[in-house]
Amino acid sequence: MSCEAVNLVDVARLLRRDVVDTVYRAKDGHPSPALSCADIVAALFFKVMKLDPQNPTWADRDRFVLSKGHACPVLYAALARKGYFSRDELPGLRSLGSCLQGHPCMRKTPGIDMTSGSLGNGISIGAGMAMAGKYLQKDYNTYVILGDGEIQEGIVWEAAMAAVKHKLDNLIVFVDNNGLQSGGKVSDVSGIMPIYEKWQAFQWHCQEIDGHNMNEILAAVENAQQTKGKPSLILAHTVKGKGVPFMETDNSWHKRVPTDAEYKEAMEILGGMDCE
Amino acid sequence: MSSYKGSREAFAAAMMQLAEEDPCYVTISPDSMKAMRMVDFAEKYPKKFFEVGIAEQNAVGCAAGMAACGLVPFVATYSGFITMRACEQVRTFVAYPQLNVKLVGANGGIFGGEREGVTHQFFEDLGILRCIPEMTIVVPSDASQVFAATLAIARKPGPAFMRIASGREHVIFDKEVPVFELGKARKLVENGNDVALMTCGFILSRVLEAAEVLKGQGINATVLEVHTLKPLDSAAVAAVATATGAVVTVEDHNVIGGLGSAVAEVIAEQAPASLVRIGLQDVFPESGPAEALLDYYNMSVDDIVKAAKTAMAKRDHRRAG
Repeated sequence: MSCEAVNLVDVARLLRRDVVDTVYRAKDGHPSPALSCADIVAALFFKVMKLDPQNPTWADRDRFVLSKGHACPVLYAALARKGYFSRDELPGLRSLGSCLQGHPCMRKTPGIDMTSGSLGNGISIGAGMAMAGKYLQKDYNTYVILGDGEIQEGIVWEAAMAAVKHKLDNLIVFVDNNGLQSGGKVSDVSGIMPIYEKWQAFQWHCQEIDGHNMNEILAAVENAQQTKGKPSLILAHTVKGKGVPFMETDNSWHKRVPTDAEYKEAMEILGGMDCE
Repeated sequence: MSSYKGSREAFAAAMMQLAEEDPCYVTISPDSMKAMRMVDFAEKYPKKFFEVGIAEQNAVGCAAGMAACGLVPFVATYSGFITMRACEQVRTFVAYPQLNVKLVGANGGIFGGEREGVTHQFFEDLGILRCIPEMTIVVPSDASQVFAATLAIARKPGPAFMRIASGREHVIFDKEVPVFELGKARKLVENGNDVALMTCGFILSRVLEAAEVLKGQGINATVLEVHTLKPLDSAAVAAVATATGAVVTVEDHNVIGGLGSAVAEVIAEQAPASLVRIGLQDVFPESGPAEALLDYYNMSVDDIVKAAKTAMAKRDHRRAG
């Protein structure tokens, strides 16, 4: 593993700590959906994307849409650690007067490129951002993280068609394939399987990776960036609750607040209380 | 003097002008190029014309993404497909983030949908949008006003919806085209304060006729065109309601949710007056010729005249009581 990847692994671990800490202190939020995409978020925010935290609305920045908006604790953690706002804001998640809404709000939180949380819409919005980038002849890329559950929404496939028609090779979409959604296993709740073949049938450039392997994430992004003429889909196999063993095996952590004991246990696993 | 074949042609002409003006103006089509008379635009400005297929939710989603990157996209198609099929995208991804997306809905009302029937007649659109914060809603009354309103909403930052029709609309401003001032209701007839006729949209032609008929019968009406339903010029509505004490609202929309409701809210809270609401009386209509449909569903000139007298009688009864 490269030194850089090792560092990003450490960043991902810190983001996971922030997620657990945020949900524990806020006494609300979705921990395990945030943990499953922590490695992807770490790679994008701390390596891949062109960003300027001092100028959050910089016109040439790369764009990011967290379509599975309920995973926002990990996005808020990444933005805070990038310096868009103070980490002191994190425990305010979902509370009155906080800049951190229950789901991402582009008008309240610096660094959020698009409001999200209503599922399925992020890829459509990302396609619009990518269309604008081409029209304006800007070289930014748009990155979207979709959950595997939310691709049951029809708008996902409307956008998938439009992105191919418009040759949006500046649009790179991850599916955080943790296999679970609110009501149970993705494969049980709907007829969405097989996922990879569907995106292939829609004529996307498709890759399948281990979504917790930093080298694979970075390689897939690079491959996607070099792909011309079509949008890219990265099907990232992940574990819901990744990094906190008792969350990995229990889907009730989709939305649940750790007890004091659970919090302590999770923080110990993620590097101890004072590991920074 | 206007010379458009209809409101859709007027919209398309305004888009041509905007395209010349500033590169930020683009259009998104959910296969509505022909329906919205955008064929010439698409030919002349292929890069400003984004076809996304029959997928209205995605059309509005893409528009939100474009607007977040500095463009001013217009999504134009049948009104119900914007306000119902893509309602949540409009609410959560356009209105909530206050993005600069412009929505243009054709086939407004039963007059606009006419022979197509209920699936393509939209009489709930204004009510649906009116309860979404941050939306500007305009309902122009003829083609020349559609042209002017298109430019007005384009130049005002933020989410906006404009309702247009399908070609049966009358030319109202055939000599002098008034300025379209967003957010300002305007008095088009000031015969007197016997009764107020408040209206929006293409049915204005019938309201103006009704005011003439009333005048012939010695009843002096004020006609207030409330072309901007949101933000509502409640001061103008309240002033006319107070001056007359008898108000008729006339709209090609369900009487629930649109102009009738908006005026009723002002009257109830600020300016007590008798009110009669002309419009579709909360029923599903049917296919038919545009003019005959309005007559059949009690939106004829005669119905407006009768409603004016009813409102006046209610007022007089109230005052006598």
